[in-house]
Amino acid sequence: MGPSGGGKTTLLRQLKRELTPVGTGSGVIRYAGLPLAELPEERAAGEIGMVFQNPEAQIVMDTVWHELAFGMENLGLAPQVMRSRLAEMAGLFGLEPLLYKPVHELSGGQKQLLNLASVLLLQPKLLLLDEPTSQLDPVAAREFIQTLHRLNEEMSVTIIISEHRLEEVLPLADRVLLMESGMLKAACPPRELVSKASEGTFAAVQSYLPTAARLYLALPARGKSDTLTESIPLTVREGKRWLHNLASSAAGEPPGGNPAAAFGNNTAALPHKVDSTPLLSAREVTFRYEKEGREVLRKLSLSLHRGELLAILGGNGAGKSTLLHVLSGLAKPQRGKVELARGITAGFLAQNPLLYFSYDTALEELQHMAAFARLAPEEAASEISRLAEAFELQQVLQSHPHDLSGGQQQKLALAMVMLLKPAVLLLDEPTKGLDPDAKVRFAGLLRQLLEQGMSIAVVTHDVEFAARYASRCALLFDGSITAEGTPADFFSSNYFYTTAVNRMVRDILPQALTIEDVMTAWQGYAFRSSLL
Amino acid sequence: MSSGFRAMHPAVGLLYYAGLLLFAALITHPLFLITELAGLILLLLLQGQGRQLLRGLPFYLLMAGSVAVLNPLFSHRGAHILFYLWDQPITLEAVLYGLIMMLVLLTIFLLFISYNYTVTTDKFMYAFAAAAPKTALLTLMAIRFVPLFQRRLREITLIQRFRGIDVGEGSLRKRMRDGMTLLKVLLTWSLEEALQTGDSMKARGYGIRRRSTYSIYKMDWLDKAVLLLLGLSGLIPLILWLQGYGAFEIYPRMKPLVFGSGEAVMYISFCLFVLIPPGLEGKEIWLWRSSRRKAYPSVTPEPNGTRSMSSPLR
Repeated sequence: MGPSGGGKTTLLRQLKRELTPVGTGSGVIRYAGLPLAELPEERAAGEIGMVFQNPEAQIVMDTVWHELAFGMENLGLAPQVMRSRLAEMAGLFGLEPLLYKPVHELSGGQKQLLNLASVLLLQPKLLLLDEPTSQLDPVAAREFIQTLHRLNEEMSVTIIISEHRLEEVLPLADRVLLMESGMLKAACPPRELVSKASEGTFAAVQSYLPTAARLYLALPARGKSDTLTESIPLTVREGKRWLHNLASSAAGEPPGGNPAAAFGNNTAALPHKVDSTPLLSAREVTFRYEKEGREVLRKLSLSLHRGELLAILGGNGAGKSTLLHVLSGLAKPQRGKVELARGITAGFLAQNPLLYFSYDTALEELQHMAAFARLAPEEAASEISRLAEAFELQQVLQSHPHDLSGGQQQKLALAMVMLLKPAVLLLDEPTKGLDPDAKVRFAGLLRQLLEQGMSIAVVTHDVEFAARYASRCALLFDGSITAEGTPADFFSSNYFYTTAVNRMVRDILPQALTIEDVMTAWQGYAFRSSLL
Repeated sequence: MSSGFRAMHPAVGLLYYAGLLLFAALITHPLFLITELAGLILLLLLQGQGRQLLRGLPFYLLMAGSVAVLNPLFSHRGAHILFYLWDQPITLEAVLYGLIMMLVLLTIFLLFISYNYTVTTDKFMYAFAAAAPKTALLTLMAIRFVPLFQRRLREITLIQRFRGIDVGEGSLRKRMRDGMTLLKVLLTWSLEEALQTGDSMKARGYGIRRRSTYSIYKMDWLDKAVLLLLGLSGLIPLILWLQGYGAFEIYPRMKPLVFGSGEAVMYISFCLFVLIPPGLEGKEIWLWRSSRRKAYPSVTPEPNGTRSMSSPLR
């Protein structure tokens, strides 16, 4: 683990001989006693498997069975061997019903499972994974990591994985390596890392830890007995148990009372000076892609008010992206109306920022966009430099858009959209693939925009992000908005679709969604308990 | 869904359609052509492709019919002049030749409908891969890119409209420039991804030794038997044709049609070749129909039967 640009990918590529980047290197990497460079080609390809970040780009063939067979064909295995291996692996991964499907009909999660399966067919002893779940939604990511866990437990495959999303991975890990700017900062079991993170030098690590561990570090009421590293909670279950122990030992009685009363409002939420006149409203919108197709949106009504951040949540294929297309006017609904208040425009940021770029440098992109927005040259220049500063893009203005990191690409695309001076911003999965620090910075950026009086609608899978920053949440299900409300109301009524913190503390503090909520509530609670 | 002839090994289908194409081009004897056409129609109907056939029929008839009409208008070879049209002689030979060409064209059109249904792209690629594995791999990868690029271009077009890049409006010059911009975005994006695809290929050992091929088709005894039968029944007419039997000469002077014992053997063997696949399809249909009648005897109540005991009126 470690921040983006810390050298995680480079390290993983050093371990896979075929993909070692060009450059100067020193030192030796040994695999099973042999220096990696002297390993026979077939062993190097077969025994060390690698899965990459982008599920789509790794796929070579057009049908599932052919993709699975591709690696085995390369190694020249006999047809009978291939057949039995494929049968086994298709059974293990549940790929049998998909076997004859064209690859593009698969969801992102299925594609990534297919990539994993086709690597596993070569029977690797070491599996390298480079942020494999960063492009997946939380449900698919969890499934993927469960599969990895099974492989590790049942077949004792060694797995080296680099990840931003450590909520699920860290509890499963035996050892954690922390990398920062090319240096190995720490190498220890996960619980030890958590206890180190409390000591200051590793404080930056905190944002990477699972929620339970962060809560453990954040709450000041830790008893002396808790200094044992074995008792540090990593999962929701462990966190819940630890909290209950803590609560009962602090109060000497089961946590009853009404601690929720002690806790006021969602402190971390962005300012919401919500105006009652809607800027953008959709009335009974119905949309389908083809005449005979399924109704993706069905009689959907939604409105966006001035100065609010609306988070639209929903499962895969629920039509979230379609909804944004319709709201932004890119797609025309068959029935119903989308109305934008007079004299304002809506800006839309798609999931894939690469779609926006067509020039050789970031600066050129911005200039051309400014010209399209009909800004006067000097106004354009000042506007560009202002945006570049606000979005921290000054350093990269001269680089090619494709050479930027994912987060920077997204900011550049957003800056381009901002040049059109929209009053409403529609964002499609803006937090996908960002590391925790980048996410916090991105939220800060949104806060700035909101303070300038913009309204933002975000389509996201990221429950934690929505709970923390949104002023209103809406759930898209079966083509229409089925639930809507402030994050506290919205999430506390959900059982599964809620934040990890809420799942941990819901018995004690049903309204708490974030660590900050718990902190404020807990102080009042602990204080009252100590009086009793 | 695949059953009957369609479910067989790709080699069987390829042999059959190659044979039909060869015969349609070589043997111009009308009896043979009509038999082949009838056989193909039967096969298409049995494969449930009647609707497909009907939809294309006006076009095929127009194309083939125009050949039949145009040939006598432009070709004046032959000895039997029927009449004069605008001072141009219309000969019997040219009319007949036009009709024969019409039959050949129709046969080929129908052949390709049936071929497209029976031998899908991946089956063809499979048969092809045995001969040239590297080329087949490249072709397969290239084929995959066509729909992929289409989908990406659609996405790009949608988003780039936001920056005023739209091939749908503006002057011709602007439209062309915008079109190029869209293609440029597509190419940059796709090349970037292709690098990753290349990595993923290398990571799975591409190019370290000769590739083997995984096949989803297995040749069973029925495939082999049908292959053998098709081969034999196809070879007989071919050899006889090379001997000069079944020839039908029109130009420069029409010769009378002969149908001797040689032609009879040739025709019987030819019929066998043409009718094997419809036979296989027919057998499949009959099988399902009869199994529907016979299956699950416990569920189907007998017409007059055991339950009468409970009826007090008996």
